[in-house]
Order: sequence, then structure tokens, then C-alpha cells
Amino acid sequence: MVKVYTVEGCPYCEKVKKYLKSKDVEFEALDIEKDEKARADCLKLTGIAGAVPVTTIDGENYVLDFDKQKLDELLCL
Amino acid sequence: MAKEQVHKDIVIIGAGMAGLTAAMYAGRMNLDVLVLENGIVGGQIANATGIENYPGFISVKGADLISTLQQQAENFGAVIDEFDTIKKVTLRENPKIIETEEKIYLADVVIIASGMNRRKLPLPEERKFAGCGVHYCELCDGHMYNGKIIAVMGGGNAALDAANFLTKYTDKLYLIHRSEFRADEVTQEKVRQNPKIEIMLQTEIKALHGAGKLENIDILDKKSGETKNIAVDGIFVNIGVVPNTELFKDELKLTASGRIAAGEDCKTEIEGVFAAGDVREKEIRQLTTAAADGTTAALLAEKLLRNFSKKEKA
Repeated sequence: MVKVYTVEGCPYCEKVKKYLKSKDVEFEALDIEKDEKARADCLKLTGIAGAVPVTTIDGENYVLDFDKQKLDELLCL
Repeated sequence: MAKEQVHKDIVIIGAGMAGLTAAMYAGRMNLDVLVLENGIVGGQIANATGIENYPGFISVKGADLISTLQQQAENFGAVIDEFDTIKKVTLRENPKIIETEEKIYLADVVIIASGMNRRKLPLPEERKFAGCGVHYCELCDGHMYNGKIIAVMGGGNAALDAANFLTKYTDKLYLIHRSEFRADEVTQEKVRQNPKIEIMLQTEIKALHGAGKLENIDILDKKSGETKNIAVDGIFVNIGVVPNTELFKDELKLTASGRIAAGEDCKTEIEGVFAAGDVREKEIRQLTTAAADGTTAALLAEKLLRNFSKKEKA
């Protein structure tokens, strides 16, 4: 399952989610302001405290921000 | 593989207030409308936490206002594509050509409503700390500084609104501006009444320091000429905007400020090309005037298309 780490109100987070929906990609959106575990997992993944949006499918490789080309590569779109 | 060619009555470049208003009007007149947005739908106001001077609303979040406007435009048939990216425009031919990463659009009319982008912090360390100390989106990154020391740089409404918003995360925020505030009095008063904000006018950030992440900054007091170093974990930069006209600089006349030269009718020097919103050179740039430009451009575009159609039949 694809995970997208977000915070509420972040326009780039919304853009990533809209893009994944447009490509029929199922994903779980995790708000790192409200979910302590998600916050810790996201920090472990990127090494940058609080940076969003972060998209991952395997918990190892990730895309920070909205980058269509990198998202397409990560998710084989 | 050759890119697919698609004809549109109107292609609108930019999905901020001007572009979406134009899309709503043009869609409502049954025109075939496409809006292309390289960045964020809503543009500069996507980040606005509370707009208090848009008629009909006591206070509205930028994202909510834009979301409703987008829905209005889409309800009238406008298509908004925020995932494709424009590579090149050719405006002096008819139809006009807009080449994106994925397609080639042929448009009878183009409305440029590409708005403005935030100006970057003009220091060599900006790149080093971008995303880990230097930020441009308080809604996206403000939470990274929960309980930490924040600085906001800028003196306009957007900067002061950002400062107020960010005090939800911090008890210590420096508001740094090189001259006097440009923000309206109501917004200035909110900042002055906020005990978490220390206002530093006539000051400039001269250098950023830190190992891996921002730790402290050098600030010049322009009155005394003294430079002091203060601990800061994150800076949110709001020092103005630059017109988003790079795509058009070889096609259209730009003014000294880099905006597109067009009158109140939004007509540029090229027939069938309109400029609307903040990207157009004009004295007053507000959400309301952007909406007005979008309206004007769409209505005059429709009139022009009707004339094209009459000529074709004649």
C-alpha cells in the first residue's frame, strides 16, 4: 500500500493526493501532526523532521514534495 | 511518439483567482475551456489562512475559496489540468500553440493568468538550508517548528499573516523587515497585539549559520549599523513576488517589473491573447481585481470568438 505523509492544509500534500487519485492509485494518507507513529516513521524514512508531503510504497524509497516524474518512477505509473 | 494535438476554444494558463474566474465565465458561455496549472491550484492564496477582504465573506480560508471556485468552473464544463506542465507557447500564430509535456494544445484564444511566485531569500546559503531551515509555505512546514524559534521575513500582508499563523507553533517569533510595514493597518495591529511576536523593523538578515540545519542568523540593524547573531530554527520568507512570465518573454512585451503589458480590457499586443490578474501590469493587485480581470478577459474572449466565427461563415 502506498503511504503519503501529510499535514492538514498543505497544498502540495493535496496535490500529491489528487495526482494519485487521478491515476487510480490506492493510498493511505497519514497526518504527521496528529499521528505520532507516522511522524516517527516519516522522520526515519527521510531524516528530515516534519518535511511533507512524502510518498513511499516500500518504506525505503520515497519522493519528497510533488514531483510528477519521480512519483511516476517510484510507483511505476 | 508524436504528441496528441487537441483543439480548445480557450486555454487559460494559471489556476489562481483570475484564471479560475475566467474559466467559470467561459465555461458558462459553453466554450471549450482548458486551464493549465504548473504549480498549485489557487496560486498565492492557496496558503492564505484567513481572507477578510473578499466581498461576501467575513473570513474565508484561501483553500476553501479556491476549492469552491474550482468546483464552479468545473460545473460549467471547464477542465483543469494541474499535472501536465507547459513547455513552450507560440502565441503569434492562429491557432495559438501550447505545448505541454504530454500534449499539443491548439487554442483560438489564450488567457494568461500565471500570477506570481514568491521571491527567494537572496543569500547564498538559501540553497543549503532550503527545506531544513528556510521555508516558503507556512501551512506545509510550520509544524516542523513546534516549540522552536521562528523568524518571518517580510512586511506585507502575507508576511504578517504568516507570522500570526506561526505563533500557534511557537512562543518566540521574530518578524524581520528591512523597512516599514506595507501591510494594511488591521493586519499590522494584529501583529502588534500578539505577545509572541518581536517586531524588528529596519533590519536585514545578512547570513545563515548551522551544521546540517539552521541554528542562528546574523541580523543587521540598519539604523545603528550593528550586526547581531540570534538563535533561530526556521525562517519563513515572504519578501514579495516575481511575475511568472518566463514562458512568454519571447512572445509578449513585458514591463520593467516583468509583468505583461495590457490595459484594463486585458488585451495584449497579440489579438486573441489576454493577460489577467497579478501577471498583468496594473496599479492595484487584489483578489477582487484578479476576479475582475478574469471576468473581463473571458467576456471579451467570447466576443472575439464570435467575431472569428462570423468571419469564417462570411
